[in-house]
Amino acid sequence: MTARLVLLGLLPLTAALALLQRRRLYAIIGMALTSLLLASVFYLSQAPDVAITEAAIGAALVTFIYVLAIRRTGRLNVVASEVAGLMERVGDRIQGFEWEILDRFARRVGLDLSVQFVRIDEIEKVLLQRDADLGAGGLLPDAWDRRLLTSREHLPTARVAIVGPVSSAARDDESDRPSTPLVGHLTDVIDAVRDRRPIDTRLDLARFLVLSRHGLDGYRVVRDDIETGYAFVVAPHRADLYTQLEAMIEELRESGDLDRMAERYLT
Amino acid sequence: MIAKRPARSRLRRPPGLVVVGVILVTVFCLVAIRDFDYAGARTSGSDVWVDVAHGTGAANVISSIYLGARLFDTILEVLVFSVAALGVRFYLSARGRSYEAELVPESHIVRVAVGVLLPPILLLGIYVLSYGHLSPGGGFSGGVIGASGLLFAAISLGTAHVSQRMRPPVLRWMEWSVLLGLIALAALPATCSLPLLADPLPAGRMGSLMSGGSIPLYNGLIGLKVFIGAWIVIKHFVDHRGEI
Repeated sequence: MTARLVLLGLLPLTAALALLQRRRLYAIIGMALTSLLLASVFYLSQAPDVAITEAAIGAALVTFIYVLAIRRTGRLNVVASEVAGLMERVGDRIQGFEWEILDRFARRVGLDLSVQFVRIDEIEKVLLQRDADLGAGGLLPDAWDRRLLTSREHLPTARVAIVGPVSSAARDDESDRPSTPLVGHLTDVIDAVRDRRPIDTRLDLARFLVLSRHGLDGYRVVRDDIETGYAFVVAPHRADLYTQLEAMIEELRESGDLDRMAERYLT
Repeated sequence: MIAKRPARSRLRRPPGLVVVGVILVTVFCLVAIRDFDYAGARTSGSDVWVDVAHGTGAANVISSIYLGARLFDTILEVLVFSVAALGVRFYLSARGRSYEAELVPESHIVRVAVGVLLPPILLLGIYVLSYGHLSPGGGFSGGVIGASGLLFAAISLGTAHVSQRMRPPVLRWMEWSVLLGLIALAALPATCSLPLLADPLPAGRMGSLMSGGSIPLYNGLIGLKVFIGAWIVIKHFVDHRGEI
């Protein structure tokens, strides 16, 4: 009788534990625990048949079904281009301005954040193939497929045109090479600058800052007057995330958190 | 700041309700357990059910009730399960097939655990099912245990891999054959000019594996039905809604 009373007392507690979890996996574990306790109560109440069925369905089958369901829906799959300050790998973890926004967003919607780094020109393909929910990593809002949803800009930036080398430092044997027709794939541009090869490209400010560390002597740098900003790109099948992300960015902006985060990572 | 206030109050409200609900449920449980006479409930009318059990030859009184005097309730439950599986198949088929979802790589520990744990889980399912007339268990729980094992395998190996082993055309054929077999077995007494719920098979010696008349057969068929039905439902969700 005492054991049954204790188990009955624990039942609402574990149920509440399952209800209060932000992470779905923990909620599922809470539900399984509740089922197991309930099965024990049935067993102690001289109903072993019901106990076995409850344990098999509640603690095993239903738990597995939920785990299957959250395998995809429980993750926020982000495909990103790596940019210092916005989203970069430091040791075995990721940090940056955009990472913090997405981390907060994932917590809010109860998803596990998972990031896959790719080249910037592959992001569109990955999102349209539904292999990821959201694109990030210093993305400018224009020039995306019409099916993709572009969030409002969360950080102002500008485009910088880099042309050169214009001085005699350019190697004669490589001066007849065609300009690197790059939109923003940084590593190729960095390689070109290191080798003093001619380039004619436009980069956003974050990528330009990375490039400038490699020395731009002899290259002409012209900042674009048109103001733009970084945005997230959402896959068409996750329109639900889009509205929530927009709302959260707006909240962060109004509360001043967005400015504080920018100061922390970008100054 | 004004925009943050409603967000805070939204966050605070559900835990408040949950706490009140928890207190209410706890009080209800404690009152119910205090007022419920377990000893009385166990003894009242127990002789009647022991007689029922002796009649069927099954040592598990519960199975002798739901597969004996309440057989048609059980058959109807199986029918409800079949209709639910049919509904899932019908409505999901209209959605068309999902895109090819990639298997999310699972950790090595889980993959190894499947290899180690799947055979004992399936064995437990078979045991619970085949000894349902002697000890706690039966077709429903045995079938569910088996289906849980398959789902466990599907989580780590992928549904496509498990499905290939399960042979879908054979499963589809078996699903309905098992249901027909159940109905035929239930209708057997009537065709043998016996009373409607009489058991045409011998009761056997109580406590032995070959006892309980038709009850082990019912358990086997119900277990198979639940096992196949649960797997087919999961497979349809995976095929038409994406994932694993």
